[in-house]
Amino acid sequence: MYDDDIIAAIATGYAVAAIGIVRVSGRGSLELLEKIFTKKPPYEHRKIYYGHITDSNGEIIDEVLVSVFKAPNSYTGEDSFEISCHGGLSVLNFVLERVLEAGARMAQPGEFTKRAFLNGKIDLSQAEAVEKIISSKSKRALFIAQRQLAGKFSSKIEKIREKILFLMAENEVIIDHPEEDISSIETKEKLNMLIDIKKQLKAILKSSQYGDVIFEGVVLAIIGKPNVGKSSLLNILTGTSRSIVTDIPGTTRDVVSGNFNIKGIPCTILDTAGIRETNDVIENIGVQRSKKALKEADIVIAMFDASNMLDERDTGIIDYAVKHSNKVIGVINKTDIKKANFMLPFDKIVEISCKNETGVDKLEDTIADSVINLESDTDIVSLNANQKESLKKGIDICDKLIDDFKRGADPALIGVDFISLADSIDDIIGKISNEDMLDTMFKKFCIGK
Amino acid sequence: MIYPKKYDVIVIGGGHAGCEAALISARLGVKTLMLTIFLDSIGAMSCNPAIGGLAKGHLVKEVDVFGGEMARNIDETGLQFKILNKSKGPAVWSSRAQADMTAYKLRMKYVLEHQNNLDIKQEMVDEIVAENGKVIGVKTHLGNEYLCDSVVVTTGTFMKGKIFIGLNEYRAGRAWEPPSDKLSDSLRSLGLRVSRLKTGTTPRLDARTIDFDALMVQPGDDEPVPFSFKTTKFNRPNMPCYLAYTNETTHKIILQNLDQSPLYSGMVESVGPRYCPSIEDKVVKFFEKKQHQIFLEPQDENSSEIYADGLHTSLGYEVQLKFLRSMKGLEKVEIMRPGYAIEYDFVDPTQLKHTLEVKSIRGLFLAGQINGTSGYEEAASQGIIAGINAAFYIQKREPFIVNRDEAYTGVLIDDLVTKGTKEPYRMFTSRAEYRLILREDNTHLRLAKKAYSAGLMSKEQYLLIDEQKKKIEETINKLKTTYVFPNERVNKKLLELGSEIIKTKTDLAKLMRRTEFNYDKLREIAIDLEDVESFIKQEVEIDLKYEGYLNLQKQQIEKFKKYEDMRIPEGFDYSLVGGLSNEVKGKLMEIRPASIGQAGRIPGVTPAAIAILVVYLKKINDKRIRNTA
Ligand SMILES: Cc1cc2nc3c(=O)[nH]c(=O)nc-3n(C[C@H](O)[C@H](O)[C@H](O)COP(=O)(O)OP(=O)(O)OC[C@H]3O[C@@H](n4cnc5c(N)ncnc54)[C@H](O)[C@@H]3O)c2cc1C
Ligand SMILES: Nc1nc2c(ncn2[C@@H]2O[C@H](COP(=O)(O)OP(=O)(O)OP(=O)(O)O)[C@@H](O)[C@H]2O)c(=O)[nH]1
Ligand SMILES: [Mg+2]
Repeated sequence: MYDDDIIAAIATGYAVAAIGIVRVSGRGSLELLEKIFTKKPPYEHRKIYYGHITDSNGEIIDEVLVSVFKAPNSYTGEDSFEISCHGGLSVLNFVLERVLEAGARMAQPGEFTKRAFLNGKIDLSQAEAVEKIISSKSKRALFIAQRQLAGKFSSKIEKIREKILFLMAENEVIIDHPEEDISSIETKEKLNMLIDIKKQLKAILKSSQYGDVIFEGVVLAIIGKPNVGKSSLLNILTGTSRSIVTDIPGTTRDVVSGNFNIKGIPCTILDTAGIRETNDVIENIGVQRSKKALKEADIVIAMFDASNMLDERDTGIIDYAVKHSNKVIGVINKTDIKKANFMLPFDKIVEISCKNETGVDKLEDTIADSVINLESDTDIVSLNANQKESLKKGIDICDKLIDDFKRGADPALIGVDFISLADSIDDIIGKISNEDMLDTMFKKFCIGK
Repeated sequence: MIYPKKYDVIVIGGGHAGCEAALISARLGVKTLMLTIFLDSIGAMSCNPAIGGLAKGHLVKEVDVFGGEMARNIDETGLQFKILNKSKGPAVWSSRAQADMTAYKLRMKYVLEHQNNLDIKQEMVDEIVAENGKVIGVKTHLGNEYLCDSVVVTTGTFMKGKIFIGLNEYRAGRAWEPPSDKLSDSLRSLGLRVSRLKTGTTPRLDARTIDFDALMVQPGDDEPVPFSFKTTKFNRPNMPCYLAYTNETTHKIILQNLDQSPLYSGMVESVGPRYCPSIEDKVVKFFEKKQHQIFLEPQDENSSEIYADGLHTSLGYEVQLKFLRSMKGLEKVEIMRPGYAIEYDFVDPTQLKHTLEVKSIRGLFLAGQINGTSGYEEAASQGIIAGINAAFYIQKREPFIVNRDEAYTGVLIDDLVTKGTKEPYRMFTSRAEYRLILREDNTHLRLAKKAYSAGLMSKEQYLLIDEQKKKIEETINKLKTTYVFPNERVNKKLLELGSEIIKTKTDLAKLMRRTEFNYDKLREIAIDLEDVESFIKQEVEIDLKYEGYLNLQKQQIEKFKKYEDMRIPEGFDYSLVGGLSNEVKGKLMEIRPASIGQAGRIPGVTPAAIAILVVYLKKINDKRIRNTA
């Protein structure tokens, strides 16, 4: 719920550009504009006005361009305007303060978008995207969010929705027009369509997991016996010297973390205490925490020393990694000293040398590929937990319907399942109404006894 | 003159809406007058000689429970009865009967004439008189003014009716009956929005010139079931219908003569029904279809006229004859009456309340095709609701409102008053979101209480139904608590019945849920299970077999009710609600929904807008409570 009081904020997206923008929206915002702007009304929708913002004494604060957008055709669906100032950040702040003084309040993060959504200007998935654009930490993320905002994802769902509508209409026409000789498509074809819908929903779910990777990032944990070079690797990847490096085994006694970015994927890396049996209480706590970190990690980097033979502790690490993670990358370090003369049972193995910083690029590529395995990013979407839940529900109902069709179930019951399927799609973007179904029915079938 | 007798309710029109409205109003004990253009066409079927059909059968049975006549009337005059969709689940079974049109209308007239409190006069109403936002009477073409407190308008296709046959145009309300040219102007001047719709009908053929041997016979059910729960003696004929087909020659003739169709030549611009397209439309829009079905139906037991279902047309007479004769079995056919299209005035139904009363004028009710619907059953069900509410208005009783979760009638009216319509509105089962519960078979079970409490059903009838209901519940409970054990006899029997053996103690309800099971089979397994009448068996089977789905719908109904119960006060000022777009506000102010639930069904009102409304209403509600505390 929201009120439509006037909100204002600096539109951060433009903050780096030479001009800054103050965005204002809400009921009565154009009256507010009149108070602070030298150009007086009439203000028309989508017109740009030149003038000055003045303070309460009429003194000029900045020379500006004001774009006016009127309800319901503005971004938020409310009366709104944007002040383009050319001053730096401080002038921008003065203008904002002036707007606030004249009666607006500071917008909360995402509040403009929330209003746009509440006013039906954008659908849920687009709203989701805007939030993501605001919080994008990489160009790659920005690109994906912008595609979603542009409705690319919505139109994909729209296509699925059309297919569902078609199948619903097929089902209804059988019920409501039993005497028509309607050459309806074969059950087998309907079944194929359903299987296809399910496949697409599953693909979307999968790409939303990629969306999570892009927007939420991934957690990597490095494990390995003491002294293999875990801390050294963390320091290289994060470009810092966060983790203390010594040649004393057991240097790192607690989990150290660092952040970096591979191909636009935000990564958090955890350097763990080498997992070993120890009597040292503090180190022992560290080992426990390492185990916990390991469980939380999306990817486990299991590290080994090329210059030594694998020993019992190494095989312990191998067992542990295989048992606790399905995404393990084996890393063989210290290849500057000697080439490894052992084999590791992992799909992905990268040889590196922290000392010479060789093989690190390859490791980064391997990490990126193992979280996002796609030709291009165009399919990646970002969905919230509810939307993902709806997708899962949709997939389950597809299964039920596939079963319905195979059994030749009563069309009235199939109808109920279709409504649930439509509902779950609704939850992702918008509503399928009875009318939509009838429209489809009358378009596809010649009905008329 | 001002007529000396003052009436409580005046019903304008003697069609299917008018008959039900007048009857129920008189039956509820208020002084009622029916004014209609032509007494001989009371209860006339303008189009197809059939009552019921998909989703329409539901409506007929609902009208029956609410004290209406349609079901009883067809049970006495039907020529063939059939339950459609019998091969599908019970939720979509629908009864239909072919009617003897003449017998149908004569019996209806007879019933009206024998109804207490009801006068019938042949007069055309030209004007509705209202004062201070209230109806006070009507004026007729004879110059008579009748005073009353309430008016139900059921003028069907008559207001400024215009018929098209080829390029010829006639003023008529139906076939050759005179139109009502003034009434819609009167409605307009009362502030109502009126616009135009169109529909069409098919040629009537001479049975003596049809080669029935060349056609496929379509008989009714061998064991016909009556519509009315009140019908006890039931013995009607089973006259067949016949199936013919158009062919490519037929289509060619039609396509070559499209310039003769007022629909295509631009003479008729109003919107016709999509589900009942003219043959011109079918041939053009579904160009790839090589043939279309034509049902030939008897109209009257004692007449040669045959109705050609599927051939609605506005093509000229010559073309009609030519394309008819291109069909197998119709090579020598003679037309008795040609098909035609008709265009008429209707009132935008979003101006009505759920009682069918006009929002802006107290005591004025509209029902039937005037509200943009099409079909006898749609008309009758509105007629009865309008009639009940007109009488209740006189009697100062609470309005009688049927909701979407209670009956198809509720769905119909809610759709009309909430969404309006752009084409003649026909009922479909898919319009009823709770159709698993709103079945034909349980109509009297689900509505008896409502009808009885409103005084629409006698106590004896109610008690009888209540007993049935109890018997069903009892039987279900019994099945749920009676067990069979995996012994040799039971398992042998199960295999014999084509079912799987049981391995543990199993209750009978569980067995019943198996697809292949029914009550009689259960009795073979559990020998002492008592026999019950077949209707009870059927209901028990449905309730158990569909239990999961029925429960799901019951949950959905609960959710639905929650929003229906959030009432929006009449005259609520939407401009006070912040955050609603002007578009949404405009729609809400136009429709003036009675509840949040209804608001949500208005096209274009977003879920977000609803969320805002809910919060706002809650806020003012809380404030009110605080203020009164
Ligand atoms: C040509 C045609 C084709 C149709 N095709 C179909 C179809 O294919 N399928 C279908 O389901 N339905 C069809 N219908 C519709 C169906 O006939 C109607 O929906 C139904 O009869 C409407 O019932 P009603 O009571 O509203 O009006 P009607 O049955 O039309 O009755 C109207 C009554 O009002 C009276 N009246 C009108 N004006 C006045 C006045 N000013 N004063 C006094 N009395 C007045 C008339 O005399 C008449 O008795 C068709 C109708 C027509 C005319
Ligand atoms: N020659 C060579 N030495 C390395 C390489 N990587 C790390 N070392 C050295 O190995 C020693 C241990 O490195 P760390 O990074 O502290 O090892 P760790 O795995 O974090 O050790 P603990 O924290 O004690 O478990 C240091 O002396 C590093 O300089 C490498 O690639 N080549
Ligand atoms: Mg370390």
